[in-house]
Amino acid sequence: MTAVRQAAGHGDLDAGPPLIEVADLWHTYMVGTPFEYVALRGVTIEVRAGEVVGILGRTGSGKSTLIQYLNGLLRPARGRVVVDGHDLASPRTDLRAVRRRVGLVFQDPETQMFEPLVGDDVAYGPRQLRLPFDEIRARVRWAMDTVGLPFERFKDRYTFSLSGGEMRKAALAGVLAIRPRVLVLDEPTSGLDPGARAELRRRIQDLRDREGLTLVLVSHDMEEVARLSDRLYVLQDGAVAAAGSPREVFGNVARLAALGLAPPEPVQVVQRLRALGMDVPPDALTVEEAGDAVAVLLGAHL
Amino acid sequence: MSEFELLRNITLGQYLPTGSYLHRMDARAKIVATILLVGALSFTPTLAGNAILLVVCLAIVALGRIPMSYALRGLLPAVPVLVVLAVMQLLFFGRAYDPSSPVVFHWGWIVVTAAVVRLVIVSAARFVELLFVTSVFTLTTTTTELTHGIESLLRPLRRFRVPGHELALVVTIAIRFVPTLALEAERLMKAQASRGGRIGGNRWQFVERTRQMLPILVPLFTFALRRGEELIVAMEARAYTGGAGRTTYTVLGGSAGDWLVPVAALLFLVAMLRAPFPV
Repeated sequence: MTAVRQAAGHGDLDAGPPLIEVADLWHTYMVGTPFEYVALRGVTIEVRAGEVVGILGRTGSGKSTLIQYLNGLLRPARGRVVVDGHDLASPRTDLRAVRRRVGLVFQDPETQMFEPLVGDDVAYGPRQLRLPFDEIRARVRWAMDTVGLPFERFKDRYTFSLSGGEMRKAALAGVLAIRPRVLVLDEPTSGLDPGARAELRRRIQDLRDREGLTLVLVSHDMEEVARLSDRLYVLQDGAVAAAGSPREVFGNVARLAALGLAPPEPVQVVQRLRALGMDVPPDALTVEEAGDAVAVLLGAHL
Repeated sequence: MSEFELLRNITLGQYLPTGSYLHRMDARAKIVATILLVGALSFTPTLAGNAILLVVCLAIVALGRIPMSYALRGLLPAVPVLVVLAVMQLLFFGRAYDPSSPVVFHWGWIVVTAAVVRLVIVSAARFVELLFVTSVFTLTTTTTELTHGIESLLRPLRRFRVPGHELALVVTIAIRFVPTLALEAERLMKAQASRGGRIGGNRWQFVERTRQMLPILVPLFTFALRRGEELIVAMEARAYTGGAGRTTYTVLGGSAGDWLVPVAALLFLVAMLRAPFPV
């Protein structure tokens, strides 16, 4: 438990048990075959209600394996995973109940759509829950409106006539329609054009601010993670190599470089200015903050 | 512990470099020997014959230095098929298959004769042997060796306009895609389960499992078609034109002595066909 507290590095949120608790989790792929390999080596993380947790790491660091534990797609053989009071190691745990609480959006989720009409595809989850018709319709309407595909306009569109960005949003709506408390997003904006990317990012922010969802965000995009997350975990070789607020994690340049990651560009600009002896605040994280810092600097020199 | 890890139980189409004699062997000789062995197990209708074949299969697995547990794991996905097959045979063959055989079980309209029991055992054994032989073949043969092997074997048929190179390519791509499709199917199962689908669960709930296939099959087909198109573009981008005048970077390994293996397989096939097995 002490390890969990330390990893949190966020004293003020410490009220009650975390929504998701992962402790000393190990995972081995292809057990009992010659292709066996260890993907997770004693990972300990926690997710608290209402926060946005970012998970960073290079390809093969174990990010995608880890998030499959968060909604019970994998069950721990070694280690502990507790999701909203459900211990995943227990054979009596109702995994579908866990998956209703934690929605997992895979990378490139549009590839999992299968119904000809958008509305039907979004309705797949609620229909599987055997909800009454009106409830299904209400949920689909809410989910589609929330991601920015107005229900009346998009429900009868052909799935494969949507643009890349619209398809991504429709797939996201398909997971939202089961009304999870936690939403886990794996590379949500990868492969989208800048406009669609910015819009989806705004929608994700709305999910937290307006809908009160707890988010777990896996991304390569440092700027995205820095902007959206309250807390970060950096994975390397299947273990947590760094944890803390974005300012703490990105502030430690040497540590980050050793993990093979570059801080977001605004952070790099500020750090270079400091290296040149300029007096700028060290903890600017976003373009706006870096801009303010530079403006102050220019003001002082005029 | 995962209900979704499909590839763990699929040995067909994987390559496992253990450096055994079977790996070093001339791919052409290996293909011929495999075909002869498949012939032997297809034409052996007796219990004793299939017992011998099973022993031979295990010997081949050992010769390829394939871990026995891994080879056996490859049989797991076939178990439901084998059970359904056996039940069908036991229920519906009745007296129609070899009416002279003595009845061993009779209950209502269900009649099971000794001949049917033997048939059930033999067909299950055949299935298992077939999986063993083909799995060991792909586990010990790289795709490149396989392509060149098939192409080289089909070369004499070129004068009859048999497109050897193209056929080799088709077989290679088909086998190469087994693990790829398994991984994609796994990903889709997980994705649909994540949005509330009743995926996974009991291996024996056939009806429920079949109904749940649609949300997986539709995207899986889309994926396969898209992969196929990407493959075409990738090949054309590298100016691929097909068989005629194409030279190769790799040369088939092995020695002349390797051809003793198919000769042995042929002798084995003849012996199995001629042997007067009592049962």
